[in-house]
Amino acid sequence: MADDPSGTGRDYDFVLKLDEAVPVSDSTGLPPVKYNLFVEPGECVFIECRDEFRAAQFTDFCAGILPVKEDPATRKRRGAVSCMGLDWSDLDERRANALRGRIGRITAESGWIDLYEMHLNILWPSLHHSRAPYDTLVGEAVKLCQSFGLPGLPTQLPEKLSVLDRKRSEYVRAFMNRPSLLLLENPVSLTAPVELYNAFFTELTAARERGCAVIWIGAERSAWSGYIQQGMQRFRLGDNGLLK
Amino acid sequence: MNFSERFSILHIGLALLGRFARSLPRFFLIVIGGGWGVFYSILHPSAWRRTVIIEFRRSLRQLVAGGFFSVVVVACLTGFGLVSQAVYWLGFAGMSQMTGGLLSSVLLREMAPILVGVILLGRSGMLMLTEMGGLTKGGRLSSLNGMGVDPFLIFVVPRTIAMTVGGITLGTLFGAIALATGYVACWVKGIVTVSIWSFLFEVVNSMQLVDYIGIPLKFLLSGSSVGLCCCLSGIDITAEDNLTTLMPRGFSRGIMSVLVINVVIDVILGSF
Repeated sequence: MADDPSGTGRDYDFVLKLDEAVPVSDSTGLPPVKYNLFVEPGECVFIECRDEFRAAQFTDFCAGILPVKEDPATRKRRGAVSCMGLDWSDLDERRANALRGRIGRITAESGWIDLYEMHLNILWPSLHHSRAPYDTLVGEAVKLCQSFGLPGLPTQLPEKLSVLDRKRSEYVRAFMNRPSLLLLENPVSLTAPVELYNAFFTELTAARERGCAVIWIGAERSAWSGYIQQGMQRFRLGDNGLLK
Repeated sequence: MNFSERFSILHIGLALLGRFARSLPRFFLIVIGGGWGVFYSILHPSAWRRTVIIEFRRSLRQLVAGGFFSVVVVACLTGFGLVSQAVYWLGFAGMSQMTGGLLSSVLLREMAPILVGVILLGRSGMLMLTEMGGLTKGGRLSSLNGMGVDPFLIFVVPRTIAMTVGGITLGTLFGAIALATGYVACWVKGIVTVSIWSFLFEVVNSMQLVDYIGIPLKFLLSGSSVGLCCCLSGIDITAEDNLTTLMPRGFSRGIMSVLVINVVIDVILGSF
């Protein structure tokens, strides 16, 4: 494998690597400038962004949904985004989807499918991407539900649950199936109960200890102020891209 | 006017012509592509994931159980109206030996696939259309895509297959109930004197080889085209669309697909 041009390591040393990558984007979304971000296993990166749409586009860019821009003259891609050593641009749709199965996400649009009960909504990505027995997945989900303050796996339709229980369910879905990368858009609300806040930090730390990398994009620095430590990468996502 | 200005006008004119030409068969091409995608997916074992199977079972239950009573009612009405009248008037005209042939060609080959297609469209297709439209417009499908779950694979593929299976199931049921009800109506009035088995044998005996291919094919393809058209119309929703624009469009596409399938199969198999 080729050495990393930035000299910071090999491709497989990073869970997520944005290397001089320029996204395909219009003026309303993610600025089409060069992005550089190197996230190692177990690392947690904080990105401040007040624009929800821009934050969503950035996580989509990290997840390979928003493609890298091509130079119209040379037809070469401007930079690369790779996840677990695999460049999104080199993967066909099936492989890219399989790789996305290793990513846990919390998005502004929770994406609950109203046709299914919440337990199916929570288990849906894990049922789709893994071959783990159903009972094993249910057991893992119940354990996570209880740690986030739910009595068990909720079986009502999403619309029947309270906002707080939907948030708890969202955490459970994101942490299910031991993800390798967590892309979290505004995961913590300062108005949420402190128990939920603590449970989230506990699961986040446990996931990082297993080697899961975390990208936390938030509008407020105060949301992560209780968690941030010396040496963690911090950025600001603005009109000029990612700024340290 | 210099060369570049002339070229620019020509370019705009060609672009407009191309846009118009492409817009006409746009949805037809989407359906062709979607149909190929469904066919390609069902042949791959990796496509049959648990999520696809769950959605397939859910859709099949909804459309067969939900459409059952509608099919029974329409089949009974058809039996009373069409079968008994055909038997009565053919007997009156002294042409009762043509009863089987008439019923197999008119009822089983032509009417049943269209009526079952319309029931599938109205009872389940419209539901699929609004569900898919709502999911697309609410950004749910994009969220699923972000989690690596292909919406085409988990919604369009299982629903189209469920519609295909539901089409032949309800179609077979429709044919059997319509013939049985027609016989009972005639038997009560004393128009027929033969047993029900002789009556059914007469109908079956009058069927030709192309009917054994064409009738199931019509049921299968009517179901799949309704499923495909409704799912793809739902996914194809735009920001300006709402239920008042989406539902008529989806209905007209669905009914058109059922009619086209029936006519095309008749033409190909030479049943006209």
